[in-house]
Amino acid sequence: MIVAERKSIPELVEILKAHKKILVLGCGTCVTVCLAGGEREVSIISSALRIASKVQGLGFEIDEFVIERQCDNIFIEQAAEAIQKCDAVLSLGCGAGVQAIAERYPQKPVYAGLNTAFLGILEERGVWAEKCAACGSCVLDKYGGICPVTRCAKHMLNGPCGGSREDRCEVRPDRPCAWQLIYTRLKGIGQLDRLKQIESPKNWRSSLSGGPRVIIREDHRI
Amino acid sequence: MKPDSRLAGKLGGKDFIFTAEYLPLAGTDASFVEACTKSFGNRLTAVNVADNHYGVAMSSLAASVALNRAGIEPVYQVVTRDRNRIAIQSDLLGAAFLGIKNVLCLSGFHQTLIDCPQAANVFDIDSIQLVNLVKTMNGGLLLDGTKIQGEFSMLIGAVANPYMKPLELNILRLSKKAAAGANFIQTQAVFDVELFKQWLEAARKEGITEKTAILAGVLPLKSAVQGQKLLDTHTDFHIPAEVLNRIKAAGDEAAQKKEGSKIAIEIAKKLKAMPGLRGVHILSGGNEAVVPDLIAAI
Repeated sequence: MIVAERKSIPELVEILKAHKKILVLGCGTCVTVCLAGGEREVSIISSALRIASKVQGLGFEIDEFVIERQCDNIFIEQAAEAIQKCDAVLSLGCGAGVQAIAERYPQKPVYAGLNTAFLGILEERGVWAEKCAACGSCVLDKYGGICPVTRCAKHMLNGPCGGSREDRCEVRPDRPCAWQLIYTRLKGIGQLDRLKQIESPKNWRSSLSGGPRVIIREDHRI
Repeated sequence: MKPDSRLAGKLGGKDFIFTAEYLPLAGTDASFVEACTKSFGNRLTAVNVADNHYGVAMSSLAASVALNRAGIEPVYQVVTRDRNRIAIQSDLLGAAFLGIKNVLCLSGFHQTLIDCPQAANVFDIDSIQLVNLVKTMNGGLLLDGTKIQGEFSMLIGAVANPYMKPLELNILRLSKKAAAGANFIQTQAVFDVELFKQWLEAARKEGITEKTAILAGVLPLKSAVQGQKLLDTHTDFHIPAEVLNRIKAAGDEAAQKKEGSKIAIEIAKKLKAMPGLRGVHILSGGNEAVVPDLIAAI
């Protein structure tokens, strides 16, 4: 899923202070699951903004609304009335959701209430970790299902760097070294020989390095 | 074309080899050339010139060329952290044009561990791919198959951390560096000689020491505080507590520095007696003046 976290209330106040009628718009998909922008967070952030408004005399009128998916026009439609009524939208969707709303309402200021962080999973209660960099050409088959492009701080494709020790990443000592995980996993499934192969430089063209990305499915465009 | 540097010549012989390193400073002052000449002179086969080791510094290419002109053979260090394959190949062509004949291929300290934590990194290629890239260029071609106009020939070096665990993964990676084209390997600082011996023996058993010359890193610590700082900030240092305690017990700043050099000499002497080891690489960066006494004593 897409993992995001909330911007701070002072930052949101700074972003919104030129407006009065503000719609805090939540999203019922990824950001609900990662506890950043669902119904509960819409309510919490709205309350915090109302308090800040009262304390600082900002005159905010906060409305709350949640749709199932902000990145999908069919669902955005459900928020049409609420969006029409407000001066500005504070979207608690991911970066894709914010832009989908902004594209749909060219005359309406739409602001991001979250910092969209990465594609990841819930590893344990309250801990989300990045697992996929969406590089556009998946190499997981070669590395026992553990991604060195995403999880190695140096994107090393041919083994760990010299800083890998005691299973920890040198850059984030609270995280495991991806290469130690790859080694253990490949050994466990009898595929350690894969690591003997010298991997050529990666073709980054399918990643963000290749420019804005789009997938066109002609079979779905008829 | 075969690399024809002085270091390449020595690797082909039987002599025990000494190299050291110079860390360029964040400036344009030319006095480093004279200082390096004084510290290194003809005592060493070659001197590594670090690539933005702990933050922004004079480019390793410029400093390498300056030392080369002063008669000190440089090992031009290139990290993959800051440059993509376009910039690296371009700089390598420039380096060859300017007379550089040795290159050391590294990924480099991650920028969050040095003085520029807010910078974006590159890591377009990794260190083994860089080794392989230089080998390809030695064959007269760029990565995309473009023919290099003129001669290109570099002796290829890489690095290894003898203390990275597990040993099987460590040796597998070392073996890949040799297979990718590394002519020599310089290691991280050796303090635990016994553990290093086990690593070298594992490398020898895999036939790696036949393919690539291993030079063991020896770091003359300036103080116990420096050693502790290295341990705290970089996991690739393995410095046993007794080493730091010994330096600390030596007393004041000057005494600690002297003790650090003494330990380095003791380690280097033990390393010199190790079969399969081709030389010692003195990690003298920031402490270059210590080299003459060290070499004289080893």
